[in-house]
Amino acid sequence: MVVLSAARWVRSRLSDRFWRVQEVLKYARHFRGRKNRCYALAVRSVRRAFVRSTKARREKKRFLRALWITRIEAASLEHGLKYPAFISNLVKSQVELNRKVLADLAIYEPKTFKSLAALAQRRRQEGFLAALGDGKEPEGIFSRIVHHH
Amino acid sequence: RYVRQLQRLQLLFSPTAADARGARQFVEEAAQDFARQHPDVVLYVSPQSGPGPAPVLRAEYLNGTVRDELIASKTSEEIVQLATKLANQSGLDIIRIRKPFHTDNPSVQGQWHPLTNKPSVLTVQGPRLQPQ
Repeated sequence: MVVLSAARWVRSRLSDRFWRVQEVLKYARHFRGRKNRCYALAVRSVRRAFVRSTKARREKKRFLRALWITRIEAASLEHGLKYPAFISNLVKSQVELNRKVLADLAIYEPKTFKSLAALAQRRRQEGFLAALGDGKEPEGIFSRIVHHH
Repeated sequence: RYVRQLQRLQLLFSPTAADARGARQFVEEAAQDFARQHPDVVLYVSPQSGPGPAPVLRAEYLNGTVRDELIASKTSEEIVQLATKLANQSGLDIIRIRKPFHTDNPSVQGQWHPLTNKPSVLTVQGPRLQPQ
């Protein structure tokens, strides 16, 4: 009957509500305003924060690559080279260093970066000579590509 | 040579509590085999008389971390799996590692500062020339 089911339903009550609430609030402790204290507001904010952090993992890769490119551009301009010239000539000289490593070298090993910039500059000059002063055998060393088989 | 990071395992349970049945079965059947298979881990079995707190498996590591795992209402096999998992861990905290690398000396040639690639006239002070 109706009375029996209502009594059975009322008899069981939550005893660990505190811990269920704390599970959510622990991720909201550093928020601003009432979102870090009140459960109803915190639930919504924590869910949005998780969604944003999931989506941001794809953006982080783009952001870091742009940061590395900015740093390499600044460092190569100090040595008188622009970023597209630097990167393209490094690739033509078969130096397969990625932007992360180049940025770290520019910060922590400035002399190595200077030598890389000099290499790119020399390869650039050899490229100009090969294109403009045609007919003679090019004396370029860094233009000769090593073939690994 | 491999040094096991787990120092000792303490099995704290009450011999009369109902949820410590798995712990008691573990002590009767599998504790000796476990201790023989892991000779560098010390296994302490301490039954607490009377109604006490929930049965717990306390793991202490060489770097000082103490980790408590609840074994209430667990079967003997599950406790064996838990104990092997704790024995294969190190005592480092289980949090997200920000970077998988770390150096104390990141720079060999000297870290870049705004005056690295400038002419050394700006940094070096030569000997003061005597007026003639």
